[in-house]
Amino acid sequence: MAKYTLKRVLMALLTLFVVACITFFLMHAIPGNPWLSEKTPSEAVINALNEKYGLNEPLIVQLGKYLGNLLRGDLGNSIKMQKNRPVLDIILEMFPVSAQVGVVAILWAVLVGVPLGCLAAYRRGTWVDSLLRVICTIGISMPGFVVATMLLHLLCGTGKPFPALFVSGSLASYVLPCAALGFYPMCYLSRQTRTAMLDAINQEYIKTARAKGLKNKKIIFKHALRNALIPVITYLGPQIAFTLCGGFVVETVFSIPGLGRYFIQSIQNRDYPLIMGTTLFLAAFIIVMNLLVDLAYKLVDPRINLTKGEN
Amino acid sequence: MENVQQHDKKLHDSAHAQDALGKNLLEVKDLQVSFFTPAGEVKAVGGISYNLKYGEVMGIVGESGSGKSVEAYSIIGLLQSPGKVIGGSITFEGEDVLAKSKEEMIAFRGSKVAMIFQNPMTCLNPVYTIGNQLIEALKAHDKEVSKEEAAKRAMEMLELVGINNVEKRMKQYPHELSGGMRQRVMIAMGLICHPQLLIADEPTTALDVTIQAQILELMKQIQKKTHMGIIFITHNLGVVAEICDKVSVMYAGKMVEQGPVDDIFYQPSHPYTEGLLRSMPRVDAESYERLIPIEGTPVDMLNPPEGCPFAPRCEKAMKICLQKMPPYVEVGEGHRSACWLRVQEQLNKKKEAGGHE
Amino acid sequence: MAEKKKAAFGSLQPDIEDILSWNDLPQGAFESATAAERESFIQDRKSVSYWKDAWRRLRKNTVAMVAMVIFLLIALFAFVGPFFVPYTHSQQIRGSESLDPWHYSLEDQNRISAYLEEHNGVGLMNPDEAVAHAQAQAEAEGKTLSRAEIARIRAQATLNQTGGGEDRKTAEDAVKELGIKHKPFGYSQAELERKAAGEDVFPHVFGTDDLGRDSMVRIMVGARVSIIVGICAALLVLLIGAIYGSVSGYCGGTVDAVMQRIVELIYSIPEVLVILLLSATLKPGLDEFQNSGNGPLQSLVTLLGSNLISMFIAFGMLYWVTMSRIIRGQILQLKQQEYVTAARALGAKGGRIIKRHLLPNCIGQIVTTTFLQIPSAIFLESFLSFLGVGVSAPLTSLGSICSEGLAGLSSYPYRLFIPAAILSVMILTLNLFGDGLRDALDPRLKK
Repeated sequence: MAKYTLKRVLMALLTLFVVACITFFLMHAIPGNPWLSEKTPSEAVINALNEKYGLNEPLIVQLGKYLGNLLRGDLGNSIKMQKNRPVLDIILEMFPVSAQVGVVAILWAVLVGVPLGCLAAYRRGTWVDSLLRVICTIGISMPGFVVATMLLHLLCGTGKPFPALFVSGSLASYVLPCAALGFYPMCYLSRQTRTAMLDAINQEYIKTARAKGLKNKKIIFKHALRNALIPVITYLGPQIAFTLCGGFVVETVFSIPGLGRYFIQSIQNRDYPLIMGTTLFLAAFIIVMNLLVDLAYKLVDPRINLTKGEN
Repeated sequence: MENVQQHDKKLHDSAHAQDALGKNLLEVKDLQVSFFTPAGEVKAVGGISYNLKYGEVMGIVGESGSGKSVEAYSIIGLLQSPGKVIGGSITFEGEDVLAKSKEEMIAFRGSKVAMIFQNPMTCLNPVYTIGNQLIEALKAHDKEVSKEEAAKRAMEMLELVGINNVEKRMKQYPHELSGGMRQRVMIAMGLICHPQLLIADEPTTALDVTIQAQILELMKQIQKKTHMGIIFITHNLGVVAEICDKVSVMYAGKMVEQGPVDDIFYQPSHPYTEGLLRSMPRVDAESYERLIPIEGTPVDMLNPPEGCPFAPRCEKAMKICLQKMPPYVEVGEGHRSACWLRVQEQLNKKKEAGGHE
Repeated sequence: MAEKKKAAFGSLQPDIEDILSWNDLPQGAFESATAAERESFIQDRKSVSYWKDAWRRLRKNTVAMVAMVIFLLIALFAFVGPFFVPYTHSQQIRGSESLDPWHYSLEDQNRISAYLEEHNGVGLMNPDEAVAHAQAQAEAEGKTLSRAEIARIRAQATLNQTGGGEDRKTAEDAVKELGIKHKPFGYSQAELERKAAGEDVFPHVFGTDDLGRDSMVRIMVGARVSIIVGICAALLVLLIGAIYGSVSGYCGGTVDAVMQRIVELIYSIPEVLVILLLSATLKPGLDEFQNSGNGPLQSLVTLLGSNLISMFIAFGMLYWVTMSRIIRGQILQLKQQEYVTAARALGAKGGRIIKRHLLPNCIGQIVTTTFLQIPSAIFLESFLSFLGVGVSAPLTSLGSICSEGLAGLSSYPYRLFIPAAILSVMILTLNLFGDGLRDALDPRLKK
């Protein structure tokens, strides 16, 4: 297990490094200067700015410096959105809002999606199964913004149950964004759980369990479920990433002052340090989440030999 | 007769099993099983009959797809959804198995009839310990048994099937055991409720040859100790010779020959059985004797032809074989064969006898 | 004796005694059968080809077939539709701005204004008229109106028109009281007059947007772009994934190990972030390239827009991973099988083995995965376009139309919901058909 964990952690660090390099080189592939887009400043100003942000040194030195800064948690300063404010500062201010919505969304997606998937598998072939299948297929076919705008239009505003403007801390403000954000992962997980359950039900050990004379419920909920949940865990990692990115849309639609909306705005405003910093931060978050899910998976599945590492 | 479920430590080679010896444990009459697939009805089992006495070991031999597993599954009620028993009867200890309700079947499985499967690698649930799965099998049929008692019984069973270090094994997961070990666990699990009948569906096929011999030896021993009936499904005639009292040979869902094991080996009276024997290596054979495979492929079960299903592959096929399914002919004590050749012989005998008179 | 044995075996089958009493055994029944007779005995099922069999299964799947028909209708709408509409997606029709997808006939409009004049005194003006009116008044008083004031007047007029006034009667009240019904399709005032004059005017079926562009034709073109983007992305993924996967799977050993590490790496890169990053950073470069000359490449860039190009780059770089894994897995599995060993033993070369033996065997899964890539690419494209980093002007896609519709959600919900519905139905039908395709092509997977 230790070796496996080490390997996974190293892989995650490597991925982070690659993402950092991608961001760095992409940024330097931009022709001209980040400060060209508005009024063209004078040569002297550009030089001064270059000097200030270290843009006139050789690329490799800049990369080294950049990575060194990253290690110290220095993501640079915003150049447009909030001039000269450290990017990390902005991120740390904005991220909790996004995280709150995201965590609730993922939680309800898992807590509802997985049981629904089990139910569908348990009642396969009945109307319950068909109904759930229809709902979930529709759910994974509706882009997040469709769900979000529909909820916004139908349920928000004066005379409707939810407020039109997002108020941080007000519970009612969180309901719809979380519902919208969690809907896709819920449907997805439900579908995957159903498939995994049916897969497990078709395994030989279920035949053994039936031959032993176990009751149907016990067969499904003891023998099939535990095995089905193992692959479902692997879907969780990508879903966390997906939810995070889905947050961009939901935050935009519901005007939530979270990191996602700010990120999109920074892209539109070409605030490059902010773009890079946010990308790196979110990427790191996703990579760490994937790592945790990966490790959890190995813990749940007894087939993995814990002493020797790899299977 | 009803007290099958004994909770004493003695294995049930007790008085009643001895009494029952010679009576029928299982009677299968004209059993027909079909699978209703989108492409049409597949007659997997087309009317087979046999009896099994208490303590008897019967082998069912046939190639893949001949319906032997399907036949066994229908005894224990494990037929999967498109499969259906469409005719015949199964009587176990005088009770009609097919008439049992769902709940009765659940109580019946495992307690009176146990089954072990071909691949011990996939037949144990990978996420539960051996002990958990053994105790569960016991508790399914005996709600009152205490945890300690159940664990004790499980360990006894493991010892019975020749597993050492049982306390440690109880806490291990299936993947930590070898294939042979796992099959032993499967057998222990089957035996834990002292069933009257054990159905073994190719229990040795997936194992190494040396392990196969061990498992066979084990089953033989256990059969001697417990006097339970065993139906041994296999495509390996060698295994049959080793353990069985009598043999049924199946081909394309039909039972083509049935008889005591010696008769089948020394006086095979169906060309298919002869073919099987010729294609099996023998230690006592002359060195220059060649193995002769059976040519051709089995018939399509989706629309089985009239007549004998083996006819297209039979070198002795006659015109009648292509038109009518042959009837069973007694060719010896408890030895029957479904082949027109045997009918012809009997006819000739009769004619001769008639001519002499 | 025979009785006893019979009982012992419990057979229901007729015994030899019965046979002997038969008299109808055909003549020569016990002669050997000829080879020809035996041959004709075996009634083999007609062997059905893989594709025919798959098609049969697919056709039986009602859901998939209905989904396919609906999708084809949408595709027809998207590809053929624009030829029947006399507007183009970027054409701004003056005087037809912000039309609803319904209208009141000229008489009804007159009745409404008469009613309003009667109840409110002044005829209700539309925002432009109201502004012009206010400006004229202000000029008369020697003042000019600030921007904010104009906006306020405009908003007030809009509000009045759509029914927000407190005690004033609105057009809506008028409609209700006069019992006037909506007529389907949008026409501007001028168009209605032309129509009344006997001219043939093509209606704005879904209304128009703020700039007077016909919504329906925009949705058609947007759907077309979405479908094309989906298909192109799927093909790109297929191409790269298939090559990478089959090489990796076939070569095995060190090559495979290295290639799989790369795959693992790419797999853990959050792709949406990279796409966003790409579109943010590639844009200036592509813009520069676009302005650098008039070659075919430049015009291609102009046509697609930098965002779309960065999306394709991201697809090409990141999205083939799943496909390559599937193909590699299939190939590793197939590699073990005898016919490949046989082909190798016969001296077939690597490339030939991949082409002739391996790919045909995993074609079912490849087709399914590729097909299901289409809806997911459309899904992603709409997501990015909605955020304003996907398809951009002069092109349009369903996602960007929805994005435009978001601004006026409360007043013109249909501007968002019509394209959103079409988009969702499109993805839904593609998903359903893809599922059906998987069941049909890969029966092993079906439980």
